[in-house]
Amino acid sequence: MAEEVKNEEMEELLEEEDSQKGKFMTFQTGKEFFGISISYVNEIIAMQPIAAIPEVDDYIKGLINLRGKIIPVIDVRVRFKMEPSEYTDRTCIIVIDVNSTMIGLIVEKIAEVDTIADDSIVPPPSLGRKEHEHNKYVYGLARTGDAVKLLLDPEKLIRQDEIEAVMEDIRKED
Amino acid sequence: MAEEFNTESMLDMFLYESGQLLEKLEGIILEKQDADCFDDSDINEIFRVMHTIKGSSGVLMYENITKVTHKLEDVFYYLRESHPDDVPHMELVEKVLAVSDFVTGELDKLKNGDTPDGDEHQLVQDLDEFLGRLKGEIKKQGIQMPQANKHEEPKQFYITPVAGDDSHFYRISIHYRSDTQMSNIRAYSATYALKEVAEDLLYTPDDILSNEASGDVILAEGFHMLLQTKSSKEEVIALIDSSEAEEINFDELTKGEYGKALAEFGREDAITIDLGEEQKPEEKDKKKDKPQPGDYVVKTKEAGKGKTLAKNQPKQQSIISVNVEKMDALMDLIGELVIAEAVVLQNPDLKVPGLELSNFQKASGQLSKITTELQEVIMSMRMMPLTNVFQKMKRIVFDVSRKLDKDIELEVIGENTEVDKNIIEHITDPLMHLVRNSVDHGIEENAEDRTTLGKPAKGKITLEAKNEGGKVYISVKDDGKGLNKEKLYQKAMDKGLIDNKLISEFTDKEIFRFITLPGFSTKEEVTEYSGRGVGMDVVVKNIQSIGGRLDIESVEFEGSEMTLIIPLTLAIINGIVVQVGNSPFVIETASIKEFVRVGEDSLIHEPSGEEYIVLRGECYPFIRLNERYDLADSISNVEEGIVVVLEHEGSQVCVLIDKLLQEQEIVVKPIPPYVKKVKGLSGCTQLGDGSIALILDIAGLLIQDGERR
Amino acid sequence: MRILLAEDDFASRKFMDKQLSRYGECDVMVDGEEAVDAFLMALEDDEPYDLVCLDVMMPVMDGYQVLKAIRDIEAQRGIPRSKGVKVIMTTALNDERNVKMAFELGCEAYAGKPIDVEKFEKVLSKLGLI
Repeated sequence: MAEEVKNEEMEELLEEEDSQKGKFMTFQTGKEFFGISISYVNEIIAMQPIAAIPEVDDYIKGLINLRGKIIPVIDVRVRFKMEPSEYTDRTCIIVIDVNSTMIGLIVEKIAEVDTIADDSIVPPPSLGRKEHEHNKYVYGLARTGDAVKLLLDPEKLIRQDEIEAVMEDIRKED
Repeated sequence: MAEEFNTESMLDMFLYESGQLLEKLEGIILEKQDADCFDDSDINEIFRVMHTIKGSSGVLMYENITKVTHKLEDVFYYLRESHPDDVPHMELVEKVLAVSDFVTGELDKLKNGDTPDGDEHQLVQDLDEFLGRLKGEIKKQGIQMPQANKHEEPKQFYITPVAGDDSHFYRISIHYRSDTQMSNIRAYSATYALKEVAEDLLYTPDDILSNEASGDVILAEGFHMLLQTKSSKEEVIALIDSSEAEEINFDELTKGEYGKALAEFGREDAITIDLGEEQKPEEKDKKKDKPQPGDYVVKTKEAGKGKTLAKNQPKQQSIISVNVEKMDALMDLIGELVIAEAVVLQNPDLKVPGLELSNFQKASGQLSKITTELQEVIMSMRMMPLTNVFQKMKRIVFDVSRKLDKDIELEVIGENTEVDKNIIEHITDPLMHLVRNSVDHGIEENAEDRTTLGKPAKGKITLEAKNEGGKVYISVKDDGKGLNKEKLYQKAMDKGLIDNKLISEFTDKEIFRFITLPGFSTKEEVTEYSGRGVGMDVVVKNIQSIGGRLDIESVEFEGSEMTLIIPLTLAIINGIVVQVGNSPFVIETASIKEFVRVGEDSLIHEPSGEEYIVLRGECYPFIRLNERYDLADSISNVEEGIVVVLEHEGSQVCVLIDKLLQEQEIVVKPIPPYVKKVKGLSGCTQLGDGSIALILDIAGLLIQDGERR
Repeated sequence: MRILLAEDDFASRKFMDKQLSRYGECDVMVDGEEAVDAFLMALEDDEPYDLVCLDVMMPVMDGYQVLKAIRDIEAQRGIPRSKGVKVIMTTALNDERNVKMAFELGCEAYAGKPIDVEKFEKVLSKLGLI
């Protein structure tokens, strides 16, 4: 049913368990590049029909059917409080597995798998308030080539109470 | 590990459960060894582990284990009740590990068939000394000393059989010389000689004394015996008179082989012993799943014949034990099959005009029939009525009410409600707690307290089960004292279980929920039957572990109602797929009363924005699903859409949808827990074309509607 | 004390009778129904038994049925559970489900065969019979 993009490639990668360390799946959302440790990534699939669920947070786009398994998908752009954009044929869903919770991340464009050495990761600097919420899910910055990649902590990314707490903070600060 | 036991004997269960608990215990200890102290949930957990092992070792009379765990339970009791500061954490960790090691050592002895004879004195003395210091500390810190931890002596005991492991099992075949006279009498003498040492003896032919013709059979086919004994091979051989024997075959068997041989010999009671609890037997007759009084009636013995059970027990060959995981996998696969079937039968390729489909239709009809039957079979394999569970509850009400000298009648409703086997296992203990609580704390101590309130002198407890909207509701209702909110609040405050808030800041339900906090027990005096607060928290924990919840309703002086609401984890329902906007929804067929088309003039608009529909003079609440769930591109004119009248527990509601798609069997899947619960939705499913439809929960819709109005 | 033993197997009966007779007068029955009759008769005569030992696999009624009947009779006569007769099941059916069922039906002890005489005696003393 679901067309699987780069699946073979992924499987090869997943087979080499040892070589996972230091490897990151990077993708582009807006102007920024993000990275997720490959160990969380299950597979990457093309965009597919999403069944919307009423009355949930706007970044939860709904449910998809992954070979009989029903998993929720979230839109990373909306999650980061960016303006939602149209889905194109480059839009992908990265299926991640965080502590046995399967979740799909809708991203605008998959970039590549990067190897990032531990020592080239620096903690995010304390920036202004505008970056406040990003810092919640970004645990490190890495420079590869000419781009800076924001490394995401998927556990924080998907945790709902986290964002509620953040929103609470923001409301208070306003 | 459990799979290794093919007979889940009492001892095996004890070893298995205690082993699991100790593993858990060590997990906690090792995780927290470097911390400053144990937190409340650790203390509760350790207390519970000790409490459980103490209890079961008491029943099996392993006194050294009981004493040691008893002492450690005491220690954690004081920690839990008094929360003293400055507990020497490292020392405590060492103490817990020492106990854990001791018990593990004793369990190992039992596993090897040895007597658990470890000397517990030193350990008990150490713990006593530690406890003494702990109490001193509590006094010094000026914390109120809790009442002494009360221990219940076990009232029932299990005497483990003398180690059956050093028994030997033999298959003995004697072939007599063909000219042997009265070989049947010779054969009988052999059995007679063996009876002296036999723990179990079975032989064939089995009618050697009463039937003279058996002598010929013995000469032709030989005389075969199965023997279980402590004696060695040599000792046994010495007992058999071999004078006329041409050949004696002597095989030593393992226990398993012996069990099989018993079945071959046609002894049917071999089966019941072989059905392990862990590998759940799935018989067609589900009631047989659990032994019942009357299962073991022996048919009157025919002279000289072996015992046979009167009740026709299934032969061993007709039953296989199946791992529950495999059952679950099968269940999932059948769910997938149902979906795949829909994909094939509703395939858009079939909609090409002019296709000759009559053979296809015939074949697909057959396919549908088979898949439907398949589902029914798998469901029936897993479903069991609550009868047995409710039976236990009757017993508890009976026992506890007599013990406490309360006059209580029990009404049971819906005991034939069938629920998934897994669920039965998980609800029995929680339900038992609720029932005990109702008898003990719910119903008033004195009949006069009741009569002055105008209630009948006799208390009443109602136990009710029903299956609705993919959920099982089991409620325990009493007409007793009810819960006193003030008292609950005060107690929770005193125990430091809640934040420092005013009572008015809590809703009634929140206050009732205090009783489910660990360490909360409303009774000043702890009673034997309801324990000391190791109760409601466990109930909630167990129920949550299967995705259910506990609902508490209470009115002071009128009574309380505790309801367990448990989802059916995986079920297949008959549903109608409807469309609203671009989204498909599923409505369970059973809850649909009718579909109607109504005119705009049947609508009543309240000033508040609420709407009602008048049908044949009756007025129903009206929900526009598209507005409720904010769905775009949908029909908003009632005259173009379809109104579905839904019924649930006697209340009706009308829902506006765009169109009907089809009726089909629906595999209910839970909405992934990551997505917060949406009221009015009970699950989701996959349709024939692979898309996902949400399943409407009528009860939820009604509640939500009620709240809004 | 007065003891009622129900056991249909000759060898076991002999063995149990010998053991139990050390503690008191022992009436021996060979099937479940007889056991219930004997129990009732003793109640009628106001000479109730102090201890009942029940085999499980027996003719007419099995041990569990007898146990249930005994508890039902006691309940009907308003004999409180604490004053009821002490019942010990003696059987080779040692799987956990059977043991639990017997406990639920209200026996005091469940002794797996072959019986551990030492522990059996300990239970008797815990039950306050000797």
